Amino acid sequence: MNNTSIKTRVVGVDVSVDNTTYAIVDVRGNILVKESFPTFDYPDISNFITKLSENIMMLAEANGGYDKIRSIGISVPSANYLTGSIENAGNLPWKGIIPLAAMLRDRMGLAVAVANDAHTTALGEKVFGSAHGKRDFIVVSLGHGGIGSCFFSNGEPHLGTNGFAGEIGHTCVVENGRQCTCGSRGCLEAYSSARGLKQNAEELLAATDVPSLLRDGGELTPERITECCEQGDAIAIEAMRLAGSILGHSLANYATVINPEAVIMTGSMIKAGKWLLDPMVKTFEESVFQNIRDRVKLLVSILDNNDRDVLGASALAWDVPEYSLFK
Amino acid sequence: MKLERTKTRVVGVDISGERTTFAVVDIRGNIIAEDYISTYDYADVNEFVAALAEKIVMLVEANGGYETIRSVGVSAPSASFKLGSIVNAANLPWKGVIPLAAMLRDRLGLAVAVANDAHISALGEKTYGCAHGMKDFIVINIGVGLGSCFFSDGHEHLGDEGYAGEIGHTCVVPVDGRLCGCGKHGCLEAYTAAKGIVKTAEQLMAESDAPSLMRQMEKLSPRTIKECCDQGDEMAIEVYRRVGYMLGIGLANYASVVNPEAIVFTGGISKAGKWLFDPTRQAFEDNVFRNMQGKVKMLVSEFNDRERDVLGASALAWVVPEYSLFK
Repeated sequence: MNNTSIKTRVVGVDVSVDNTTYAIVDVRGNILVKESFPTFDYPDISNFITKLSENIMMLAEANGGYDKIRSIGISVPSANYLTGSIENAGNLPWKGIIPLAAMLRDRMGLAVAVANDAHTTALGEKVFGSAHGKRDFIVVSLGHGGIGSCFFSNGEPHLGTNGFAGEIGHTCVVENGRQCTCGSRGCLEAYSSARGLKQNAEELLAATDVPSLLRDGGELTPERITECCEQGDAIAIEAMRLAGSILGHSLANYATVINPEAVIMTGSMIKAGKWLLDPMVKTFEESVFQNIRDRVKLLVSILDNNDRDVLGASALAWDVPEYSLFK
Repeated sequence: MKLERTKTRVVGVDISGERTTFAVVDIRGNIIAEDYISTYDYADVNEFVAALAEKIVMLVEANGGYETIRSVGVSAPSASFKLGSIVNAANLPWKGVIPLAAMLRDRLGLAVAVANDAHISALGEKTYGCAHGMKDFIVINIGVGLGSCFFSDGHEHLGDEGYAGEIGHTCVVPVDGRLCGCGKHGCLEAYTAAKGIVKTAEQLMAESDAPSLMRQMEKLSPRTIKECCDQGDEMAIEVYRRVGYMLGIGLANYASVVNPEAIVFTGGISKAGKWLFDPTRQAFEDNVFRNMQGKVKMLVSEFNDRERDVLGASALAWVVPEYSLFK
């Protein structure tokens, strides 16, 4: 008996609106090699699957051999772990229900697990990051697309009866509030995502004559607004404060029902730093159920933004039972 | 070694501010016999435990014998399953942390499990009620307070310290909200539990001169307000419409993160019927994450008063490993 039959590597794939990134990752979370291509270059799903599987195989062959790969995990927006499918993705080129896990497994001859980005991010945090050792926690993703989350219950991700759980971005934080792209009004995303932040700034700029660096006509991105906060711009600071404060209030209600050991913040918007996070922490403290107030840790992810997505996807790959066409 | 007889019965205990009920219950949820003592007769918790234990033994001896009982489950306000204790109960005679499970086990020589009423309600519904066969669902308890417990993939979600489910203390009115018994302002409980409903009625009566049957009521309560609704009283109907609206939004946000198959209502106020549930359902559908619209069932517990208190506690008794002083 020997250990050569145990596979120590998986492939982690992260599909986002910009790029599809795929990497070979070992059991310790070391990213051995990583590549990517623009997702929208393949508006036909069959061509996308072909391109992805060919590239993965070539990458594996050039780096130790395809036979060393145990399984594949893929993170995709709007994907459902329970069905293995992408379901009505708003921002991807392919519409409707796409049975991605089955399609890719047929091409690659290996087990494939599919999950949405919130679920994958939380799994990555549990296995490699700030949630290691924790059993009940919430991971909040503040990315470009919107605000998502996934919470763990007694060591397992809570997916819900349909696999839709965690949609904190579409909870109502202001009655009859702003129109959200999902069709409802007053969603958290409409105030605290990148989109919401931009609208905060626009409304403040329109409501007053106060001079501001943001009036220069440039795009109101989180990065630009953060820069202006650093330079003391009052409107930029208030736009961030509003986003952070509403987020803190919403997370306080979330923590009140979940009672997590920690709430972990991830995603590109956390680069805004104290301008967003200080008001968030303050409102959280004021609004959360008193019995747990001093007992919930508010943390920022320790994982590198660049690695996080494929790391989480690689963790997903270990969960699915091994399957091989070649046995 | 010899063939043993299976123990088919447990004792379910429900401790509330008014009375402490205890019953012998079998595997199928049949209540064989029950009795009660008055909680407030015992200012000293040691005396309470002694009296409770004595009366349980008497009930059991008169109904099959002590050897037929496997274990004991206890429902108490502010109890933590993980700690086996009551923690700072507002409505009981005894303060601080009370290690009730250990105390009762020492007296009875049987395994004892303790949990709070929200957790017990959910367990009761899963084992013997509406939620049998479901894996992801929420049980909402509306009465004096507003509590909940949800199940994740077949297991109750207790949270890091067992405090999960406090939906009543989520903040739904951030500015100028009503003062809640927990010390915060704007809690959902302050608008939707018994006192909150009466307060809304009082506000409506003060706001206008319109006639209402409620003005002639000696004592306003959720039940009497409902009776006015049944008689077509417009102001009373508006009371429940407002309560339902707020409850619906609070539950929509809860469902958006938990994605339950169903929400089960129990507690006194769940008897308010369509006056409460129609507006609740409307506000829920308007605000829940779009993929769940029309999918979440809303059910009312079918247990009668006698069953409700002790069935869940009896279900809890089966969870704790058997223990006997006499082995």
